[in-house]
Amino acid sequence: MARPVFRRMKAEEDRREERRLVHLDRDRALVEAALRDPAAFDALYRKYLAQVYSYAYYELGNHHDAEDAAERTFLLALGALDRFEERARPVDGAGASTFRVWLFRIARNVVANIRRGRRRHPVAPIEAAATLADRTDIEGQVSERQEAGAAWAAVARLPAERRRALVLRFVEEMSTAEIAGILGRSEGAVRVLIHRGLRAVARDLGGRRW
Amino acid sequence: MADARRIEPEVEALLVDRYLESILVARERGTTVAVHDASLDSALRGASDWLTAGLIRVHPSFRFEERLARRLADVAAAMRLPAAAGGASTSPATIPFEPDDLIDPARDVDDEGDPFARRARPLLIGGALTSAAVSLAGAAIVAWRLSRPAHPMVRAIRAIHGRAGHESGLA
Repeated sequence: MARPVFRRMKAEEDRREERRLVHLDRDRALVEAALRDPAAFDALYRKYLAQVYSYAYYELGNHHDAEDAAERTFLLALGALDRFEERARPVDGAGASTFRVWLFRIARNVVANIRRGRRRHPVAPIEAAATLADRTDIEGQVSERQEAGAAWAAVARLPAERRRALVLRFVEEMSTAEIAGILGRSEGAVRVLIHRGLRAVARDLGGRRW
Repeated sequence: MADARRIEPEVEALLVDRYLESILVARERGTTVAVHDASLDSALRGASDWLTAGLIRVHPSFRFEERLARRLADVAAAMRLPAAAGGASTSPATIPFEPDDLIDPARDVDDEGDPFARRARPLLIGGALTSAAVSLAGAAIVAWRLSRPAHPMVRAIRAIHGRAGHESGLA
């Protein structure tokens, strides 16, 4: 009968695929420790809190919602950690973290759910930009605060997917491959999103510096 | 007539991508000098530089960080509790019901969807679905109880209730 033969071929194919998968995730040790003992998840939490929080803040525009999103993201990640599959490939390079991609996918879903629930009370971009400008007061530079507020406002005017791609690229400093993983798009599509987003920002700025 | 020097958008997107990569590499090396292709539009390069400087990472407050750390530690402890009490594994997936949009990170969420959908905000804590009002310890006890086979008398009572509900059209 043909069926067992096909099954054997499929199994052999799966084994070959498994051999091709090289474990390169830079967070592998931390994830394994958290799988052995959930208390060790704290290291991953400390490592990525600011990134997740920052992403949520840029998406939601206020600190209260960003805290809510960060909290839910990490609680969900801890609860579902045993389902995380490391998928870093050699082509992703030594710094790849599929855990970070996985975490940000959770964050993206959480942010979308929060936005749905609070759509009746949207935060005006200008208000959020002013808040963001205050947060940069660490430097004590008024002009820098204004620049940060202006940059946020320029990005906030973009369509959602372009804004998201730019925030992941510029704020989270992610590679195109990572952003593609989070947004569920091809790398080519992400490059186009970023390009169009930048083009719009450049138009907004009206060549004031260049 | 089209400009002969005009670059295709796809090619320009690749040039931008390379430029942004070089910004990251330069930053890792502690410099600000990023290499760029001469054919890259200066307006795009300028916008990239402006956003690199302006889009800063926002940090949460220390108080929030520590509060969430404590909460995660509590959840981690609750996840270990069922196993310590005789459960089969430390896996949090002890209850078959799963709010898949929250658990499955691979699932895409359309944030332009129904604004009235999913108003309730279920939270997965150690595999037990609970509201924020239910304590972590309660969630752990529920998970432990559900992981154990029910007493024959309890099963009999449930069967009677089920039959009664079915007969009254409520099941």
